[in-house]
Amino acid sequence: MAGLDLSILPQQLVNGLLLGSIYALIALGYTMVYGVLRLINFAHGEVFMLGAYAALFTSWALGFGPESRGQPPQSSALYLVIMLLVSMGACALIGALIELLAYRPMRNQPRIASLITAIGVSLFIQYAGGLFLPQSPPPAISEAVSPYRGVMTAVLKPPPADLAATIDEIRAREQAAKSLAEAAKAENKPEAKGLEEEYRSIQRDLRAKVGEADSQTVRITVPHGQLIMLVTTLVLMAVLRHIVLKTKTGRAMRAVSHDFDSAALMGVNVGRVVTLTFIIGSALAGAGAMMYATVLRTPLSPFLGVTPGIKAFVAAVLGGIGNIPGAVLGGLLMGVVETLVVWAGFSGFKDAVAFVVLIIVLLFRPGGLLGSSKVEKV
Amino acid sequence: MSQTVLALQDATIQFGGLVAVNKVTFDLNKGDLFGLIGPNGAGKTTCFNLITGVYKPTHGSIKFHGQEIGGLPPAKIATRGICRTFQNIRLFSSLSALENVVVGAFLRHRTPLWTALACLPPALRETKALREESMRLLEVMDLADEAHTRSSDLPYGKQRRLEIARAMATRPELILLDEPAAGMNPLEKEDLQSTVKKIRDNFDMTVLLIEHDMRFVMGLCERIVVLDHGEEIAHGPPDAIRNDPKVIEAYLGEAHS
Amino acid sequence: MKFWVVRLVSLAVAFGFAFGADAWIAGSMPSAYRLAVLAGLFVTLAVSLNLINGITGQFSIGHAAFYMVGAYTTGFVSNQFYAQQPLGQPMWLIAMALLGAAASAVAGLVVGLPSLRLRGDYLAIVTLGFGEILRIVTQNISQIGGSYGMNVKPFGGPVQTLWVVLLLAFLCVSICRNLLKTAHGLPFVAVRDDEVASSAMGVRVSSVKVTAFVIGSAFAGAAGAMLAHAETFISPDMFRMDVSFIILTMVVLGGTGSITGSVVAAVVLFGIPEYLRTLQDPITKLPLAVPGQALLGSLVAVGLTVWGLREVSRRVHGNVQNRAVAYGGTLLGGAVVAWLFSVVFGLIPQIAALKFDVNMLRMVIFALTLIVLMLLRPQGIFGHHEFSWRWLGGLLGRRPREATA
Repeated sequence: MAGLDLSILPQQLVNGLLLGSIYALIALGYTMVYGVLRLINFAHGEVFMLGAYAALFTSWALGFGPESRGQPPQSSALYLVIMLLVSMGACALIGALIELLAYRPMRNQPRIASLITAIGVSLFIQYAGGLFLPQSPPPAISEAVSPYRGVMTAVLKPPPADLAATIDEIRAREQAAKSLAEAAKAENKPEAKGLEEEYRSIQRDLRAKVGEADSQTVRITVPHGQLIMLVTTLVLMAVLRHIVLKTKTGRAMRAVSHDFDSAALMGVNVGRVVTLTFIIGSALAGAGAMMYATVLRTPLSPFLGVTPGIKAFVAAVLGGIGNIPGAVLGGLLMGVVETLVVWAGFSGFKDAVAFVVLIIVLLFRPGGLLGSSKVEKV
Repeated sequence: MSQTVLALQDATIQFGGLVAVNKVTFDLNKGDLFGLIGPNGAGKTTCFNLITGVYKPTHGSIKFHGQEIGGLPPAKIATRGICRTFQNIRLFSSLSALENVVVGAFLRHRTPLWTALACLPPALRETKALREESMRLLEVMDLADEAHTRSSDLPYGKQRRLEIARAMATRPELILLDEPAAGMNPLEKEDLQSTVKKIRDNFDMTVLLIEHDMRFVMGLCERIVVLDHGEEIAHGPPDAIRNDPKVIEAYLGEAHS
Repeated sequence: MKFWVVRLVSLAVAFGFAFGADAWIAGSMPSAYRLAVLAGLFVTLAVSLNLINGITGQFSIGHAAFYMVGAYTTGFVSNQFYAQQPLGQPMWLIAMALLGAAASAVAGLVVGLPSLRLRGDYLAIVTLGFGEILRIVTQNISQIGGSYGMNVKPFGGPVQTLWVVLLLAFLCVSICRNLLKTAHGLPFVAVRDDEVASSAMGVRVSSVKVTAFVIGSAFAGAAGAMLAHAETFISPDMFRMDVSFIILTMVVLGGTGSITGSVVAAVVLFGIPEYLRTLQDPITKLPLAVPGQALLGSLVAVGLTVWGLREVSRRVHGNVQNRAVAYGGTLLGGAVVAWLFSVVFGLIPQIAALKFDVNMLRMVIFALTLIVLMLLRPQGIFGHHEFSWRWLGGLLGRRPREATA
């Protein structure tokens, strides 16, 4: 390991937050379902995977498929919105179906029975996906869909002034040498070869200096797509917050989460609340999946959901499972920590670090970061 | 003179800003039948939780036979000879009535775990002995017929009695009964009164009990402490308590109005 | 006196069975040998997890970690030291089982300690995390093969391990059974039912929990040791969390707390995918292929049948004949539905063109079996029951309707 490159640390932090925002979106689904049903919905990662495929198929239907002959259509923000909505809708539907078919019949059974059913559903979707979904070569959503392919750069610390001056000076010399060489070449003068070589040598010099300046510059580069992803995530979270805190449905959700049986006795339509929770949680996963597949351009596979799923689950527990702000915090933290571990040169351990952080946090705060560990009443 | 079994001296516990039990002081002598009463939320069960080690007192001392037990883990306190029942029945629901009692009696097991894992005769003999002993306790509590019923399938009154049997199986010197008569009908209550007396007389135990039913407490206990808002407001024999204006105001007053 | 006679006879039977089965299967069915070993290992794993999860109620879902610790420790030691030791091969295998058990017991202690502070789902995720951490760390240690895995060939080739595996499974089952048979087992169940009440009765909750973890993980470690020596190759991928989930499923499906249930579920759940793997088309001798319409038709039929069976179990009471007719009718109806739908789906050319290899389908079928069994019998195959002749008699004769707990 060749020392830590501090100049790319800010960039890494930003990357971590971006990754973390996806984890947070998935974690919200885990935490909401846990909140109302006290069930670890192991199939949530698979809902995420299906969401990514839904986005893929939509992009194909829009003309960005691998077999589309001729010119693909012009990229447009509208396509992205359509893909996002289709993904969210598909996931919402799948989530509701899973709840209805697999979890609802288990409602009055021991929790561990529902958990095993969840594992069963998760395995079923993975391997059934393996049968039916395209996977080799791993399909990815065409880059051509998105009109936002630029990057945004913010320079935090410019290169030292003298270095910049040197570069400017060399660049001027380079320009001069270039025109000289070109002129000589055009006139077929005998010294053309020598001038060309001189120009090349100055160019090498320039590159070296630019490289040096580069390594001393601290900047953050964010592709526009990722920026939009972050904004979308924040908007979705704000919408969720509004739903949970300000609407009647949200109040019912909170009531059910606080005490399932009492809420039912108080006339809350518990079945409807549970279904809605699954719909909202799954739709968020769908949004995350669409962005994961489109913006980060991850190659898809039926097992795509496993790792992000488990990490998001860890994030939810880290934040205090059942706690909505906790899930967001946990997700962001998870993304940052993971990116930092890779930055520090331990990329082999990046999937383990989530658990290390979790175990450390739980040893000190058994209820998670924002969760309250309930003291049992005696 | 009788010997002091349990001594609370300024026992206090605070949860955040709430002082649940404030400077409670009383002594229990050997063979006492002692009542702890007070309105809801007065801190009675919290007091039990302090004595049995569920909570650690913030201040003050709790001495058992002169030795400080405040803050010891519950299992240690049980081993020293204090056992309790719970207000909201906490039986081992998947075990039979008999097995529930054996768990209590198991406190005094002698054979090491490995002999049980290897199923060697000492462990088997001990198991048999503990079961027989527990069976006798079930007989005392009139539960022998239900010995092999799952405890969660027992009717409420029997569950309460089973809790007492389970606590007695640890052979405590001091037994704490948390609302033993709650939910019982008058007939069962009368029965329970004589049972509690029998426990004290035949098993040589000191009894501290929490109860809401005044008739039950007044008819049974020889001394009573009254708590209100975590504070001790009266202390004495039933007659004195009955006529104590503070108690009437805090507690009986509302009941008699 | 009688006790010792019974004990000696049963030990002799166990040994006789272990060695007999080993010799018989090795001699007559070489392909089945490996399956028998793995099945025995899964029985050990399921029963040992049942001690932690089912009997003591500590929600541990990282059992594969202990399996891995045993496998890697003994694999490494075997590779390094087998050549320099005087023990014979059979003794060496037993020594390795013990070593694996010891190593995993230490790991069990490490995981058991946080269990003192954490409950329920939080403990579950920590045990899962512990397994993942260990696996990923193993992946990154090149001395033991890293992610490529490690060969364990101290003997220069495969050896017969079935007898150790069977003895191990026997030992594990009898230890758990003995525990439940004596008063010593009651505190374990008491901790599962109510920690607060247990501690008030003088049960040292912490030591009970840690003991359960240590014993349970020791058996998983011994199983891991045998896995390493039977397969002669181990890699971190063999201990993914799916393995933990499958073991957990065996415990729950068998009936939480029921040893018999764990044993049966381990054999069944291990057997289903392995059996499907070996299925062949009777004519072509190729792996059996299922036409698309039959697959989709059966999927629909399975759903409807499950729903029907649930309704039947809820609504149809009365004597054995009536119930048998109702259940049989539902199953038959399911078969008819499967056929009808497969005809309908067969009309769609895209579906009719699909063919699925059973080998590819096997995990789908496995998952479906899991869901279906859970929906039909959430308390597990055996519920809380243990096998006994009396119980079997009650099952076959007229029995009172079970109280739904």
